[in-house]
Amino acid sequence: MEIFPALLSVISDPMLLFAIVLAAAVGMIVGATPGLTASAAIAMLLPITFYMSPLFALAFLYVIGKSGRYGGSIAAILFNTPGTAASAATQIDGYPLARAGKAGKAMKVATISSIIGDLMGDILLVVGVGYIAAIALKLGPPETFAIYFAAFVVIGSVIGKSIVKGLASALLGILVAMVGLDPISSEERYTFGSFELSNGIGLVPLMIGVFVLGEVFAQLEERRKVTGETKENESSADGNELTWEEYKPCLPHALRGGLIGAGIGVLPGLGSAIAAFISYGEGKRRANNPEQWGKGALEGVAAPESANNAVSGPSMAPLLTLGIPGSTIGAILLGVFLIHGIQVGPTLFLTDKELVYKLFACGMLGIIAYGVIGYFGATQVARLILKIPTNVLYPLIFMTAFVAAYSARGSMFDVTVMTCAGFVGWLMRKYDFNIAAFVISFVLAKGAEETFRQALLMSDGGAMIFVERPIALAFILVGAGAIAFRIRGIMKERKLAEGGLGDA
Amino acid sequence: MRAYAEGLVLAAISFVAIWGAWQVPAASPGDTWAGIVPFAASVALLGLSTLLIAGASRQPAAAAPTASDNGATFQIVVLFIIALIYQQSFRWFGYLLPTAIVAPVVLYMFGVRNWVGLAISVVACPLFFHLIFFVLLGVFPPYGEVFDLLSWIQG
Repeated sequence: MEIFPALLSVISDPMLLFAIVLAAAVGMIVGATPGLTASAAIAMLLPITFYMSPLFALAFLYVIGKSGRYGGSIAAILFNTPGTAASAATQIDGYPLARAGKAGKAMKVATISSIIGDLMGDILLVVGVGYIAAIALKLGPPETFAIYFAAFVVIGSVIGKSIVKGLASALLGILVAMVGLDPISSEERYTFGSFELSNGIGLVPLMIGVFVLGEVFAQLEERRKVTGETKENESSADGNELTWEEYKPCLPHALRGGLIGAGIGVLPGLGSAIAAFISYGEGKRRANNPEQWGKGALEGVAAPESANNAVSGPSMAPLLTLGIPGSTIGAILLGVFLIHGIQVGPTLFLTDKELVYKLFACGMLGIIAYGVIGYFGATQVARLILKIPTNVLYPLIFMTAFVAAYSARGSMFDVTVMTCAGFVGWLMRKYDFNIAAFVISFVLAKGAEETFRQALLMSDGGAMIFVERPIALAFILVGAGAIAFRIRGIMKERKLAEGGLGDA
Repeated sequence: MRAYAEGLVLAAISFVAIWGAWQVPAASPGDTWAGIVPFAASVALLGLSTLLIAGASRQPAAAAPTASDNGATFQIVVLFIIALIYQQSFRWFGYLLPTAIVAPVVLYMFGVRNWVGLAISVVACPLFFHLIFFVLLGVFPPYGEVFDLLSWIQG
C-alpha cells in the first residue's frame, strides 16, 4: 500500500513530473534512433545526475530505460529497423503491417500493449518486491554467493551467440573488477605498481566507454556498410486509426505477454529480447489465426511488445533486494544508488523504503507519459529522428563521452579508462563477445567476492558449505542447469540445421 | 583462423591474470587469500580459451575480410588513436584547445564536408560543452600544464 502515498507525493511535485515527461520523450527518441540505445543514453547522462537529488536522478534514468524499450518499436515498425534487440520480434509483423499502409495502426497496438505489459510488470514488482526483500534478509553469505554464481552463469551462458564467449565475457568483467585494493585485506591486486590503478576501475567511465564510445566506433564501421537512406513507412487513410474491435483480439496476447515478460524479468540477465521472442512464439501457438502471423497480424505486434516492456519493472527486483542487476540498465542504476550513498540490497527496504516506492511511482507515471506521447505522436517522433543528421550526432556523442567521463570525479585517469573501455567494447562487439555479461559481472564481482570469502571463513576454508546448505545448492544447480539447457538448445539447433541440409 | 586468434588472445590474457593473481601476498592466519577470486577467474578463463582453441579446429574457414572491412577497421583504429591523443592532451592543454582541434577532425571522419560547418565546430563545440559541464554543472575544468586556453582567455 506504500505505493499510493508515493504516487500522491510524486504527482504533487511539478519538477519531478516534468523530469518524468522529459525522460519519457528522451528515452523514446533514443530507443527509436537506430544505433543508439537506452543504455548508452543513460551512461552518458549518468554524470549529470550527480548534481541531482537521488530520487530525481533515479527517476530520470529509470524512465529513460522504460521509454527506450518502447522506443525500439517505433524504429521496428516505422523504419523497418529494430531500434533494440527486443523489438526485432515486433518487426516480424510490424513490417508487413507497415507495408500494407497500416503503420499507424500497428504503432497504436504496440503502444497500448507496451503500456499494458509495463504496468503489469510494475504492479507485480510493487506487490512482490517486499516479500523478496524479506526472504533476502534471511539469506546468509553462502546462499547469497550461490545466487551471484547463478547470475554469472545465466548472464554469461544464456544471452549471446556463444556460451564460451559469454562466460569468458563474464570472467573478464570479474577480472577487471578485481583491479585495485582488496576491500578485506587491502592487498594490491593487478595494480602493477600504479597508484591510480590502486583505486580500482570506476563504474561510470567503464559504462561510458563500453556503451557510448564503443557505440561511436561501431557506428563508424556501420557507416561503410549501410547503403541507401532510412525512410518512414507512411500510413494509408484508414491505416492510422485503431478501433476497439481491432484491439480486442490483441488483449489476451498482451496480457499473456505481460506475464511472460514479468516472469523472465525477475531472472537476471535474460532480458527483453528473450521475453519478446518467447511471447511471440507462445502467442502464435495459441492464436486463432496462426497463418496470419508473420504476414501482418496485429496480435503479432501486441504479444512481443507487451512482454518486452513487462521485463522492465520486475528486472528491478533482484537489483533492489539482492543488489544483483538483471540488465545493463539495472547495472547503471546500481551505480546511481552507490554514487548517492544508498546501499542496495535487502536492507534498502528498511533504510530507504520511501525512496524505493517513489521510484516505482515515477516508473508508473513514466509509462503513462510515454504511452500518451507514443499514442498521439509516434509518427512525429519518427519524423524528428529522420531529421537528426547522424554524421553530426555521433561526433557530438564522441566528445560528450570524454567530458562526461571527466565530470564524474574530475579525474583524468577516468577519461583514459573510458577511452580504453570504448575500444575494448567495440572489439567485444566485433568478435561477438557479450558486453552485457561483461558489464553486469563487473558490477556483481565485488559483492560476489565478499560473500564467497565470508562463506569460506564461516566454514573454515571448506567449499562444501555451498553444497551442504540446500538453498545455496539449489542456486548452484540453477547455474549448472542453465548451461545444460543452453547446450541442449544449441545441439538441437545444430541437428535441425544438419537435417535441413541433408534434406536439401 | 579467427577462432584460433580469439582463443590465443584469451589465453594470453588469462596467463597475465594468473601471474597477476600469484603476486598477491599470502593471507594472514584466519583470513582468506585476497588472490583467490582473481586466481579462480583467470584459471577458468584459461579453461574457456582452451575450449575456444579446441573448437576452432572444427569450425569452417571464415571468409577473408573484404577491403571495405579493412578500411572500416583502419578508420576505427585512427579514431581510437585520436581519442587517446585527445584525452592525453587535456593534461597538457586543458579542455578548450584540444576540443577545438578534435571536433572538426571527428566531424570530417563521420562524413561532414561542409567547410563552414567544420569551421563553426571549432568554436561551437568547446563553447557548448564548456558552458554545460564547467559552467552550468560547476565541474572544475582540467588544467593544461603546458598551455591553458581558458586561463589565457580569463587573463
